[in-house]
Amino acid sequence: MARQPHAILLKFPGTNCDAETARALEAVGFTSEILPTSQLGPDSLENADLLMLSGGFSYGDYVMAGRLAQLRVEERLSASLHGFVAEGGFVLGVCNGFQILTKLGLLPAGSLIENTSGRFICRWTRLQVKNRDAAPLTYLPDTFELPIAHAEGRFVAAEGMAEEYFKDGLVTLTYIDDVNGSDHQIAGLQNLEGNVFGLMPHPERFLYRQHHYDPDWKAPANDHWGWGYHFFRGIYDHVTGAKVFESCTTTEPSSSG
Amino acid sequence: MIFTEKAVFRQVPLLELDGMALFELSKEMKLSLSEEDMLAVQTYYRESGREPTDVELEVIAQTWSEHCKHRIFSAEISHQTAAGEEVVDGLFKTYIKLPSEEIFACKPGFVLSAFHDNAGFIKLDEERAICLKVETHNHPSALEPYAGANTGIGGVVRDILGAGLGAKPVANIDVFCFGAPDTPQAVIRGEDVIHPLGIMRGVVRGVRDYGNRMGIPTTGGAIQFDPAYIYNPLVYCGTAGVIHIKDITKEMSSGLKIIALGGRTGRDGLKGATFSSAALDTDSHEEDQTAVQIGNPIEEKKVADCILAARDESLITFLTDCGAGGFSSAAGEMLSDVGGEIFLERCPLKEPGLESWQVFISESQERMVLAVEPERVARIKELAGIYGTEATVIGQSDGSGILRVWHHGELVCELDNNRLHNPPRQLRKSRWMPPAPESNHAWNDENLGASLEEVLGDFNICSRAPVIREYDHEVQGNTLLKPLAGACGDAPQDASVIGIDGSDKSMSIALSLLPEWGKYNPYRMGKACVDECIRQLVLTGGDPDQAAILDNFCVGNPDDPEELGALVEACKGIAEAALAYGAPFVSGKDSFYNYFETEDGAVSIPTTCLISGIAVVHDRARVTGASLRRSDSVLCLLGEGSGLMGGSIYARRHGITTAEVPDIDCAGALDRYRLLARAIKGGQVLSAHDLGEGGLGVAVAEMGFSLQGGMEIDIDQVDAPASATAAQRLFEETGGRILLEVASDQVEALRSHFSTHSCKIIGHSSSAHENLVITDATGTRLVEAKLSSLKEIWKNGLKAYY
Repeated sequence: MARQPHAILLKFPGTNCDAETARALEAVGFTSEILPTSQLGPDSLENADLLMLSGGFSYGDYVMAGRLAQLRVEERLSASLHGFVAEGGFVLGVCNGFQILTKLGLLPAGSLIENTSGRFICRWTRLQVKNRDAAPLTYLPDTFELPIAHAEGRFVAAEGMAEEYFKDGLVTLTYIDDVNGSDHQIAGLQNLEGNVFGLMPHPERFLYRQHHYDPDWKAPANDHWGWGYHFFRGIYDHVTGAKVFESCTTTEPSSSG
Repeated sequence: MIFTEKAVFRQVPLLELDGMALFELSKEMKLSLSEEDMLAVQTYYRESGREPTDVELEVIAQTWSEHCKHRIFSAEISHQTAAGEEVVDGLFKTYIKLPSEEIFACKPGFVLSAFHDNAGFIKLDEERAICLKVETHNHPSALEPYAGANTGIGGVVRDILGAGLGAKPVANIDVFCFGAPDTPQAVIRGEDVIHPLGIMRGVVRGVRDYGNRMGIPTTGGAIQFDPAYIYNPLVYCGTAGVIHIKDITKEMSSGLKIIALGGRTGRDGLKGATFSSAALDTDSHEEDQTAVQIGNPIEEKKVADCILAARDESLITFLTDCGAGGFSSAAGEMLSDVGGEIFLERCPLKEPGLESWQVFISESQERMVLAVEPERVARIKELAGIYGTEATVIGQSDGSGILRVWHHGELVCELDNNRLHNPPRQLRKSRWMPPAPESNHAWNDENLGASLEEVLGDFNICSRAPVIREYDHEVQGNTLLKPLAGACGDAPQDASVIGIDGSDKSMSIALSLLPEWGKYNPYRMGKACVDECIRQLVLTGGDPDQAAILDNFCVGNPDDPEELGALVEACKGIAEAALAYGAPFVSGKDSFYNYFETEDGAVSIPTTCLISGIAVVHDRARVTGASLRRSDSVLCLLGEGSGLMGGSIYARRHGITTAEVPDIDCAGALDRYRLLARAIKGGQVLSAHDLGEGGLGVAVAEMGFSLQGGMEIDIDQVDAPASATAAQRLFEETGGRILLEVASDQVEALRSHFSTHSCKIIGHSSSAHENLVITDATGTRLVEAKLSSLKEIWKNGLKAYY
């Protein structure tokens, strides 16, 4: 049996979803290491198969969300990060991590700005899969739910660009309801190569069935996992090169374990 | 980095002053010490044969303040009621500590720590313990709502971080009392008083920005609206934590290094403890601004990460937070018995030019104080670097029994705790002789449908969703029962349930406050608050025999015998109920002088008692919500009504203040809750909702807000005195009652399970329609409304204002 894939979770001052994200990654088979960014160096990604940027408020997000974290990463990691991505390493950014990846230019150009309501929003949202080939979405049905919790989640791009992103398969997820004013209700994006993925919703918060707000929510495999588990499982398969025997393209439960 | 350059302190001659002059000195220095206190201070210095320094006086003022010493809760009170006069030998001792200790003795091994640490711990499983702490931040929030609430959260989170050798904060709760958001400006009779809507918005944002940034889910709360809170809003901030049982005990010893961890020290937050121990007036809005600070949640997050890492490496010997009184109270807690030295010139500062006393008592936020073995200092500093914060050795413990504070080689403070003792005990008078309630109210209601709509839209009932959605209640990924849930994800729940990493057990967190009841019958208010809290813990899946509670009182003017009398009565109520339920108090806090001198005279808050609690949830699969799940289920009402309407939302809306407030039979209720816990464990209950404010009418409507079916109830099936009208049956708020949704094939088993209690089938859910239908025994339809329409009214109550 090959070694377990390894995830490095960057911890900026103010990153606060790292523990539950590590829990989710370990649940699908990763080993994980939470790395405070003060310890970040050019060699930090050497053993990593996944670079994880978890949610939170890096440096308080007092400047535009993710901006200071972007500068920190560029200062400490720049060349090795681009090397990591170029060699096919997987990078996932959730919420604040998505904001940081966008600022770093690793995802399609655009900005995540303040929600149209001007407020922080914590609620569950229905999502629509827009690119079936995106690794994290392998085991997810066309529509599914995840919670969001953000003040700056409204994705905006230069005139006409969002349409291009759809054409190129860069838009991976959209909100079914307009929750924050995003262009075309974009909720998640990936790069052209499909190994950098960012989304505002929090898959790590729906690891277990019991995370769902409705006590009658049925897990797809009638087990105790929520959609977040299946999301990370897709990434696991991608980084381990596991052959995908089954994928779930409908809302019907898949038989996974 | 900034440090002080020289010691700035002075001798304050007081050995020769008389009582009057001593009191004048106290006022001049804003020490908030009484003449009697000052005489005690003088005696200490006469024995010492020297004059005090200003640093010492400031330290004594902080440690003897109401905020730190709870002097009113320790006072001897002669309490007068219609039954005669009695002497209460300390409210804390009589009504909090003694009943709790009685319960500890009955439940060995359950309460692992109470009253002496930052928070009390109860056992969760063989390895872990859980705790809850609630603080108030009323005065700062009145002056600067955003910053006041912000630092209120910051402070209580540090309490948890400083409990034991560092508990992990896993959930926040926030309870507010405000004036109504639609209060006309002309009603507000005081200069610079912030409108209730401004207070509410500021406070909510303050809570949001601190809790969300720290990554602690805000999972529970409440808002009460009453004109009495216009001038003195109440802001309760609570945090629950988890710790390994082995990390609960901590003990100081000599030879330890004292380390300041976290933020730097500045002039912000000077004299917060003494400030909060006095009443607000118009001048407060100008003069006391330095007592309010701005929080920095990211600094506190870094401190939290560092402390939890240091704890896991077993580096910490003793730990406390820097709260009221700053270094002086932290050092006092650590060094007053063992003795030791602090060197103020080593403290890193935010700004130059601080005087000696300012460094020592500043309440600058985001600071913790650790005591560690000398060989562990290097690793603590390393961890501070890793997490991006600062650790500085500022002193050591030495076994001398004396606290010495040095500043650039000068001894600015030397206090011998063996001789300084506690402040003189206060003697107080209280009185509670209310008019007898009246029973001549008709309670006839020709249009119950309209009344139900009004009550659902009442500020005190309507949805808190606009506020709740601004709080991240899911971070940490352990929120099993969310504040809004049910099939649509937006129906109200009775408590929150938090999963605990590494354990198969979870924690239920609930709270109750009924200030309206307290206006008429504070004793019954106290009992009802304990009852409601325990009930909510149990019906969400908590174990009724593994629950602990906290008392947090806010009082107007304790120098007024009537107001103090209401407090005494409320304490009697909570003590009696706590004993009856076997739910010990493990922590508590009080806040006095919540009154304001308006242009038209003083306005006090009603005596407000927040009871919050935690309970062990054994099986996360049995976490129970309050929302309807089936369209073919049966609705059962557990517990009996009394028909008494005093304190209810309905009575309040009708301007009735003379009705009798309901009492509760706690022993009967506990038996019922134990049976309920067993029924939940056995999977016999689909959902359960407590009957609280708004009574059955609100409970049944709220249960239906998951929109899983229509609901039909027969009001005459409700167990209440035969004379009770439909309005009484629908809106009375008598405690101990729970609305249950049960699968039809479980009903008979459930009723025999509850054979010794009132368990009435009052109706059922229906797939035939989407309405709430309330009939009487004759079949007359008293209420018929679409549940979705009722839900809209409930949902939109605050929308226009928030």
